[in-house]
Amino acid sequence: MAKGRELKGRIRSVENTRKITRTMEMVATSKMKRAQDRVQAARPYANSLAEVIASLYSADLAERFPLLRQPVAEKRAAVILLTSNRGLAGGFNSNLIKEARNLLNRLDRDGVETQLHIVGKKGLGYFRYIGRPIASNRIDITDRPTAVNASELVDKLIDEFVAGTVDAVYVVYAKFVSALSTPPTSERILPVTPPANTGARPDYLLFPSAEAILTELLPLYVRNSVYRALVETVAGEQSARRTAMKNATDNAGDILNVLRRTYNRARQAQITQEIAEIVGGSAALEG
Amino acid sequence: MLRVSVISPESVLFEGEAASVVAPAFDGEVGILENHAPMMTLLGKGTLRLSGGAGERSFAIEGGFLQVVGNSVRIVTEKATTSA
Repeated sequence: MAKGRELKGRIRSVENTRKITRTMEMVATSKMKRAQDRVQAARPYANSLAEVIASLYSADLAERFPLLRQPVAEKRAAVILLTSNRGLAGGFNSNLIKEARNLLNRLDRDGVETQLHIVGKKGLGYFRYIGRPIASNRIDITDRPTAVNASELVDKLIDEFVAGTVDAVYVVYAKFVSALSTPPTSERILPVTPPANTGARPDYLLFPSAEAILTELLPLYVRNSVYRALVETVAGEQSARRTAMKNATDNAGDILNVLRRTYNRARQAQITQEIAEIVGGSAALEG
Repeated sequence: MLRVSVISPESVLFEGEAASVVAPAFDGEVGILENHAPMMTLLGKGTLRLSGGAGERSFAIEGGFLQVVGNSVRIVTEKATTSA
C-alpha cells in the first residue's frame, strides 16, 4: 500500500501546517486588538491638536509659517514608506510597495527629485533589489511604535523643509479604516494642510500669542501625523496577517478533506482488490 | 469643578474632575480655578498638579499646550508621565 503511506504523510504534513497557521492567526488577532487600542488612544491627541490649529489658523498667517508655506514649484520631495519587518501577511507589503512606486513614478514624471526613506525590512528589501537609492532606512521600529520613533523619522525632514532643501514630504502607510479595510495610502504631511475649522471659536486669551502657539504646535502636528501612520500601519499589518492566516487555515482544511477522501478510497480499493484476488484464487483451485 | 483631561500622543493619561489645576506654562506656573476665561497657553517643562476631585495628582510634562474652555481644561503635551 505504497500510495496510502504517501498520502498519510501528506495528511500529517498539512495538519501540522494548519496548526501553525491557526496559531499565527490567533497571535495576530490578539496583537491586532492591542494595536487597534493604540490607534484609538492616539486619536484624542491628534484631534485636540487639529482643533487648536484650525481655530488659530487664518489664511493671512499662513505666509509667515514655513511649515504652512506652499512651495512655488515642487522640485524636491521626500517619501517615507512604512512597511512591516515580517512577511506572511498576504498582500500587505506588496500593496504598500505598489502604492509607493506609483507615487514615486508620478513624482519622477513631474520631474521631481525624490529621496526615499524606508521603515521596515520588506520595503527595504524590495527597493534594494530594484536598485533605487535609499536615503535612510529604519528596521528597528517594533510592533509598538512610540512618539519618539516618529520624531526621529521626521524631525530631520522638518528642518530640511524649513531650510528649503525639500519642498514636500509624503508618507505612504496603511490607513486603518477598520479591521477589514486597511488600504495603502499616500499622504502629504508637509507643507501642512491646515485642518478644517469646525464651529465657532471662543475668544481665547492667548499666551504668548497665536503665532507663537502655532510655531510650537505645527511641528507637533507633523510628528503626530507620522506617529499615527506608524501605529495604523502596525494595526494594518496584524489585521492583514490575520486574514492571510485565516485563509491559509481554511485552505488547509479543504486540502485535508480531499486528501482524506483520496486516502480512504485508495484503502477501500485495496481491500476490494485483495478480496477479489482471494476469491479469484479459490475459484481457480476449485476449477 | 473643572473637567480635566491630560493627553499625550500615545494615550489619554487622565480624564476626570479637579478643583484646581497648576500647570507649568512657558513663562512660569499658571493656576486655573473654576469659571476661568477661555485661554490657551504654551507649556514648558515641569510638574502639572491637579487637586480636589479625585485627590491629588501630578504629572511630569514637557511642551505642548493648555486650553481652557468653559469649565473644561485640556492639557495636550508631547511628553507626559504620571509621577507619584
